[in-house]
Amino acid sequence: MSEQRRDYSTILRTLPANEAREEVLFRQAGDGFLQVEYGHEQRLYVPDSFRMLAVDGMVKDKKINGLIETVPGLRTNMFHFDPTVITVDRLIDEIAECEDELKTLESMVIPSRLIKLPIAFEDTETKKAVEKYLQLIRPDAPNCEDGYNLDYIAQCNGITPQEAKEKLMETEWFNSGCGFWPGGGFFWPLDPRCALVVPKYNPPRTWTPEGAVGLGGPCVFTYTTPTGGGYQLMGRTIPTFQFAMKHPQFAETPFLYRNADRIKFYEVSEAEVLDIYSHVHDKTDYKYEIEEGEIVVKDFIDWLHSDQIQKETAEFNKKREAGMAAAPKL
Amino acid sequence: MLKVTQGGIQAVVEDWPGRLGYLGAGMAPAGAMDNAALGLGNLLVGNPSEEAGIEIAAGMFVAKFDEDAVIAITGADLSPTINGEKAPMWESIAVKAGDKLKFGTYGEKGFRAYITVAGGIDVPVYLGSKSTCLFGSYGGFEGRPLKPGDVLKNGKPSKPLSELVGRKVKPEAIPQYESVIKLRLIPGMNACPDYVTEEGMDYMYSNEHKVSINSNRSACRLDPIPDDVNFFARKDGGSGGAHPSNIIDHAYNMRGAINVTGNTPSLLIGDGPTLGGFMCCGNVINADLWKIGQAAPDRDCIKFEYCTVEEAIQARADQKKWLSMDSIITA
Repeated sequence: MSEQRRDYSTILRTLPANEAREEVLFRQAGDGFLQVEYGHEQRLYVPDSFRMLAVDGMVKDKKINGLIETVPGLRTNMFHFDPTVITVDRLIDEIAECEDELKTLESMVIPSRLIKLPIAFEDTETKKAVEKYLQLIRPDAPNCEDGYNLDYIAQCNGITPQEAKEKLMETEWFNSGCGFWPGGGFFWPLDPRCALVVPKYNPPRTWTPEGAVGLGGPCVFTYTTPTGGGYQLMGRTIPTFQFAMKHPQFAETPFLYRNADRIKFYEVSEAEVLDIYSHVHDKTDYKYEIEEGEIVVKDFIDWLHSDQIQKETAEFNKKREAGMAAAPKL
Repeated sequence: MLKVTQGGIQAVVEDWPGRLGYLGAGMAPAGAMDNAALGLGNLLVGNPSEEAGIEIAAGMFVAKFDEDAVIAITGADLSPTINGEKAPMWESIAVKAGDKLKFGTYGEKGFRAYITVAGGIDVPVYLGSKSTCLFGSYGGFEGRPLKPGDVLKNGKPSKPLSELVGRKVKPEAIPQYESVIKLRLIPGMNACPDYVTEEGMDYMYSNEHKVSINSNRSACRLDPIPDDVNFFARKDGGSGGAHPSNIIDHAYNMRGAINVTGNTPSLLIGDGPTLGGFMCCGNVINADLWKIGQAAPDRDCIKFEYCTVEEAIQARADQKKWLSMDSIITA
């Protein structure tokens, strides 16, 4: 019957842009899904995620009957709900109320834990993954010259491999939301002067070891379990997921990461990383380095937009653009 | 109680609605690909309709019973036999210790069959569900398809076995599987006006889409969009990527999303990805998800029918009534 009156438009409602936010779009996404999106432009701007997560927290605090879960992305949030309990209109009302309550940047403070993660660069296990890829998938892969990806990462960003490692360690990486793989987080650089960007493997790998630290596009991902994958490899960190939930850190959920967590890497030897594996999975007595903290959004934005940061970011962007233009495509 | 002697093409333990509430942790809901066949099968043997059963894709599964039980076989007709005799479907049947249950292969219609057992399948509940997620290797029976030697225990039946035998699904409640599978589809979140053209959406709704050989429990891949269809409303994906199907990573409206990667649309189902960098132009309504479970790769076609949210909610209510004791004749 409704075949006669097909309507393909998907924006159900909007809230106007103001000084604290972009236009908010409420998009129909099925009979049990609603997407909230900030603005029309596909932009990479981490403060969009701050706001998304702040509103996400406010909506969850309402304990809305019929809301099953939310799945934040960088500039979108997916609301999964039971439409037999709550209508989409009513759900939009609830979310809009939170959006309008969050009037100014001044009021935005994001609770955000800082997790320090040791990394062994170019370790044996991730090297094996590259070796396997060259043997089985793509022997001439330009991103795997000399048996690893660090040279290619450096080349794409117009810097040396050592500088690439330093940039990975200098910035804190912000989790805009977990997903894609069990327990995995999508981490974005908070310091734009460290915003490494690199194309993904083409075609992807069939194996990556647990704990591999990879870079794909502008995101860092720490592999939670052995799996395929397309991110360029830099090294290996400690477990961030435990299926068996026997270590006290994983007593309640098998996941280490939460939305809005920050991670920061520091360099250790491969032996130290391997030792921690046994203290997480076997002896279960490793103590994760986690500090409670918060991000004061206004302070961050002021810092981000300061002349010095803008200038140094522009300098790095220039190097990176030149590097990317000269690097082989995958 | 049941010992697997041959795993067949793919046999997995699944319940319904699967593992809800973990999309944001990167965990797909998994769950039965055809929740209608599983649900009716469970009701036949006195279980709640959501209980776990064995999902058999394409057939060739063989198992032996170690003790007396009441079971039901529902879903696609994969030529099941018990001790070499044709086994009845859509009714509860008594099996004895030593009986051998064997499946042939799929025919012209339907793709997955379900075995339900009085008392359910006794596997650990992991994060709220007994469902296997093959993509992540967790849940169900050791996170994997069943193989020879596996022993599946059953839970405690809700009634004495003798009272559970002889139940039947009413003839009018038995689903008819088709080779052109009609799925009601709601446009969104990336449809008109900004992501897909009217012409592109017309293409999705007006054509039959062949189910690719490269389909599995994560994605049901469809024929590529032909080059002469002006599908995308954008030239490129902006910061999301060079192709207009690219987007900055966002959560997928899954299960049921039509995910467009390059020129290829795929339905994201049970074990599918929860988040990624490609647009989603539609969502198959919850009450029609079961039909995707009966689509055979490289044989069947999908035809989408336009649907509003209101109609989809009515369809959920209708399905709830269908998958209830209203559909069962008790002996």
